[in-house]
Amino acid sequence: MIGQIYIEGDLRIGGTIEGEVEVTGDVEVDDMAKVKASLAGRDVSIKGQVNGAVVARKRLVIARSGSLTGDVHVARLIIQDGAAFSGKVSMGGAAEVRPARAAEPEAPAAEPEVKALPEAPAPIVAAPVAAAPAPKVAAPAAQAPVVRGKSGKTGKTGKPVAAPTRGKPKRR
Amino acid sequence: MDTQEAVAESTPMETTNQSDSKRDGLKKFTLGPNDSLEGKLTYDGHMTVDGGRAEGEFRVGGNIEIGNNTVVKALLEGSNVTIKGEVEGRLTARDKLTLGKSAKLNGDVQTRRLQIEDGASLNGYVRMGDFEQQAGS
Repeated sequence: MIGQIYIEGDLRIGGTIEGEVEVTGDVEVDDMAKVKASLAGRDVSIKGQVNGAVVARKRLVIARSGSLTGDVHVARLIIQDGAAFSGKVSMGGAAEVRPARAAEPEAPAAEPEVKALPEAPAPIVAAPVAAAPAPKVAAPAAQAPVVRGKSGKTGKTGKPVAAPTRGKPKRR
Repeated sequence: MDTQEAVAESTPMETTNQSDSKRDGLKKFTLGPNDSLEGKLTYDGHMTVDGGRAEGEFRVGGNIEIGNNTVVKALLEGSNVTIKGEVEGRLTARDKLTLGKSAKLNGDVQTRRLQIEDGASLNGYVRMGDFEQQAGS
């Protein structure tokens, strides 16, 4: 998928994305994913390849299979041994420690996503897009359909993230 | 065999200024809470700064450990670098850099492996890859 995407909810990326991704909830990049985009989210977890700036309003975790090249603006940062990271880190002072909330917000939030059902994320993604509650959603999403089958870059491995483009063509 | 140019200022209160003890075949150099070091140090063993202050350039053949209540303003170079205190300065870890949860690091980092624990604070440019060939890994 190439384009700008704004999602209200959580996002899990399993394929290839190019562009800009902004999510109000959490972002999970699977280990096969290749992201050449700027990512913005609350809790960002990277297990695949990311090439781009990352803003994690709460926490960024780079797992050992993950690799990130790009600048990072986070409140909390966790990098596991084995991960690859090159870029500038800005944490803006002492990180706040909230140990209790470490796993909590991710578990319930990620539940619908982690199931990896193509259906599960689709309603979350397609709903705001199709219903277009906010004009902001419609505008950037309109660029998404350009991608569908256009260039080889759309390496959609059948993973849910392609969902937004599925509903897209109707909007044109 | 290794040249050491170190200008050490130690408070007269504690005499256990620099303790060298053999460990793992490599000698160890420790600065305690009442110690302070200012200058250029090239050392062939492990270096630990646990409390107290250190300023300057420290190039160490072994590992570097910066303890909890420690403030270091220095260029650091070591094999494995573990930071649990405050460090300001450029840092090179030939093998692994570990930031503990109370660590605060301000400065550029060059390391092969990196581990950052929750709670650590890092501001600076990170470059990972083989130390020898850092030409855009």
